[in-house]
Amino acid sequence: MATYPQRFRFGNFVASIIWLILWILIIVSLVGLPLIFIILFYLPLPPVNGEVLTPYLFLSMMVDPTRTLPILHFIIHTDLFKVAVFPGFSFAALLAAVTIFVERKFLAKMQLRIGPLYCGKIEGILQLLADGLKLIAKEIIIPSGADKPIFWAAPIAFVATAAAVVALIPVAPGWVAADVNVGIIAVFAILGFFPLIALLFSWASNSKYPFIGGLRALHQMIAFEIPFFLSALSVVILSGSLNLTDIAKAQHPYWYIFFLPISAFVFFISSLAELERIPFDLPEAESEIVAGWLTETSGMIFGLIQLGSYVKVYALSALFVVLFLGGWAGPQIFPKELAHGPTAGLMGLLTLQGVYNGVTVNAIFWFTVKTLGIIMLMLLPRGISPRIRIDILLHTGWYKLIVLTFINMFIALALIYGGILGPGGLLTAH
Amino acid sequence: MIKAIESGSKHLVIKRFTLRYPEQKLKFIGDGYQFDPKRGVGIAGSRGRHILFHDKCTGCQLCAIACEGIAEAIGMVKVDEQWKHNKKSIMPQIDFGKCVFCGLCVDACPFYALYMTNDYELSSFTKEHLIYTPAQLAIKPKYDGNVELKIDNMGATHG
Amino acid sequence: MEKNLEHQIDESEKLGMQIVKESEDDRLMTLSVGPQHPGSGHFRFTIKVDGDYVVHCDPDPGYVHRGEEKMCEYRNFIQNIPHLERPVIHDSANITYSYSLAVEELVGIQVPRRGQFIRAIASELDRQIYTLYWLAIYGIFLGHSTMFMWPTGDRELFIDLMDALSGARVTHAFNIPGGVRNDIPDGFKDKCLRHISYFEKRLKEYEDIFYTNPLFIQRTEGVGILTKEDAIGLGVTGSVLRASGVPYDIRKAEPYDVYNEIDFKVQYMKSGDSLARAYVPLLDMKESCHIMRQLLDKMPESGEVRAKLQPTPKGPPGEAYRRVESGRGALGYYIVSDGSPKPYRVKISVGSFRNMIALPHLLVGSKLADMPSVYWSLNYWPVEADR
Repeated sequence: MATYPQRFRFGNFVASIIWLILWILIIVSLVGLPLIFIILFYLPLPPVNGEVLTPYLFLSMMVDPTRTLPILHFIIHTDLFKVAVFPGFSFAALLAAVTIFVERKFLAKMQLRIGPLYCGKIEGILQLLADGLKLIAKEIIIPSGADKPIFWAAPIAFVATAAAVVALIPVAPGWVAADVNVGIIAVFAILGFFPLIALLFSWASNSKYPFIGGLRALHQMIAFEIPFFLSALSVVILSGSLNLTDIAKAQHPYWYIFFLPISAFVFFISSLAELERIPFDLPEAESEIVAGWLTETSGMIFGLIQLGSYVKVYALSALFVVLFLGGWAGPQIFPKELAHGPTAGLMGLLTLQGVYNGVTVNAIFWFTVKTLGIIMLMLLPRGISPRIRIDILLHTGWYKLIVLTFINMFIALALIYGGILGPGGLLTAH
Repeated sequence: MIKAIESGSKHLVIKRFTLRYPEQKLKFIGDGYQFDPKRGVGIAGSRGRHILFHDKCTGCQLCAIACEGIAEAIGMVKVDEQWKHNKKSIMPQIDFGKCVFCGLCVDACPFYALYMTNDYELSSFTKEHLIYTPAQLAIKPKYDGNVELKIDNMGATHG
Repeated sequence: MEKNLEHQIDESEKLGMQIVKESEDDRLMTLSVGPQHPGSGHFRFTIKVDGDYVVHCDPDPGYVHRGEEKMCEYRNFIQNIPHLERPVIHDSANITYSYSLAVEELVGIQVPRRGQFIRAIASELDRQIYTLYWLAIYGIFLGHSTMFMWPTGDRELFIDLMDALSGARVTHAFNIPGGVRNDIPDGFKDKCLRHISYFEKRLKEYEDIFYTNPLFIQRTEGVGILTKEDAIGLGVTGSVLRASGVPYDIRKAEPYDVYNEIDFKVQYMKSGDSLARAYVPLLDMKESCHIMRQLLDKMPESGEVRAKLQPTPKGPPGEAYRRVESGRGALGYYIVSDGSPKPYRVKISVGSFRNMIALPHLLVGSKLADMPSVYWSLNYWPVEADR
């Protein structure tokens, strides 16, 4: 039975916000702060500017402008920040969330309708928040006879694997969560986990439709991993290194997509197949096998898998940008520094001395623009094509795409031995 | 395949088709479905909520009899008003929870007393509120739809 | 446990029921594509799958059975109209057209000419509405969400027209034994012509994005081939029959009302696979636009639209059988009357139910992934088939 909703009164709204802030302050100061102090008692604290950083010193430093910036600088360059916030999980999750919303609006425009409209005053911006809250509040139903440990662990493993791929991708020179010298091989090794997770989850669901869906996911992902790897191999041949930062730097005058267009095309198609996006969404084909291997998910498990899926979208398109579109290369449109010469005091704080680095900000900007462009390109086939059938998919993956990658590898080798690219070539920068 | 991509991208610039319902409402031609018993044919209009003209209804129950085989949504109730042509003082009461809006009751009335109007927004919070008494049926609803389907070079829109 | 199961199976077999047993062969898996399935509508069928190939299919209609035919016996001829149009809510001008024709034959009424034209216009509009909805769901079964949104949006053009004409968007209750219930409103003809010309441009877009899409063609070409002899032998009707090479359309073969004055071609294709069954309704829609233009041209300027009838018509005892070409196929009514205002027996023969017989015939031997494209291409509307 619906009840009459009460009329909105602004005074009540402000009062509720103040109550909320009051409760947060009470809980933080009575419970949170003592916990932090107790934990910090046992952790070794790093020294900043010659003094040991205790919380009191930290709080007092934040108020003094000459000492804020070094702390900020220090924090930004710690490993925890890099993994959790900037080129790591929060950045990826934020872009994933933006992708979900933009996808719905973009598809809606192509289909002559409006996407989410009513949540949030401006054209449905808060729809994602509403969906997230709804998924958190739902009951998680586990089928009887399902394998409980794997059922709970698989979605978390899914998100963790996707985040692991994100950790390897360089966003700006020096900004990688994990600078590994065999970067590309590590990426593909981690990507090899996904079919395993899909199969484990579908088997643990103990039902027929997830079983079919899991087998299809396995076939699809394994079939397309090989063209995926081979097309990246041509890039490695041209750049001469497996480290992702070096590959991005080596594309300095000309991006690799001009030399290896076939490889870029094959990489794009294979990444659509790895991400289970339309036209390759057989594992979740709705009209034949209900929801494929996601049938038995409900509530937050579904939410985690969707989050992992879209983080994977970001990761694979960022990989495309690094391998083929030159990573962060772009004209410098941000000023190199905000003020000339060292300044002190408030001016120093405002011009972010020591923290702002024009080159880095420029690199981040161009990287984000390119990644968003590739993500939009990945959204386009969803509005245009129907689903493909499994035998045609396997035929394409195992025959046609591998042939194309081999052709491309010959082109790459020819470019190197013809002296155009590679060390000492005509078109290399140095 | 290229044609498909072209077609899909072309639609990114065509105007959207949806009607944003509570802010925009469709306009209807005419006043609602009416029936002319002399000629035996109806007058085209949208079939929404009924309107009962108390100065014409004689309490003959033909509308209730017509509805008995279809939805059993009309019941005759006693009203407090005294009319010369309504000796028994009974008038129809319509339960919109059961009515299927077919309009055969309008066809059955021989005295020009029961018509249908354009109003279709009849939702309520309880089932009892859906039973409209003859006094409620006498009010002509105000429906201000002003949006209709427009077709031009950039596509069809409601606007 | 085993003994209990054996006992239950014996008991149920004595009552005449049959339980689908899990077979002893380990390779087969029984899937129930039931009503709770995004790929089946309100209809259940059980398939046995060996790997990726379907080896057995068992349709099980009856989920939405409401006893329409029995309900007709308790209402008089005019009161039957609102509930008879409920099996197919948006194609209601066709399912009541056939009923009205049969009742007019029983009672002996002659419908005025303008009424016949308006009935034909409503029938063509409803055919478009139904076929667009069918096409939308075909798109979503194959995973093409754009092909779901575009026909559903363009259907609004025709639903708007039917709303202006009859007063309701779906379940129009427009046809009645004796003619139609009201005359056309002002400005209807111009609006109709405008909408039809816009729609013909949209049909080209459908062809671009869906019918010539290589992914769609890969999925439907050569799938579920129904040969001409099989089609005639199994008794399928409508666009399924025409897609197998038989140029049979009831509007041409046994013309009713004014269809013998309209000049149109019967659209058919010879291949008989799913692609042809998806293509024929598109051609039908183009032809339907053509027919509507002619009907609007040839309609007499003024005249009666409804024959004068007593409120509860009744006729001499007898029987009547009339057929009409609806969106799904031949829709026939066989009405037996015993002289009272209520019919004695109404038998509805529906195109969907006849097409269902082709489903086991086509699915056995095809892949599991072909199941949506074959099933829905048979133009099966579950609610109508169960009546």
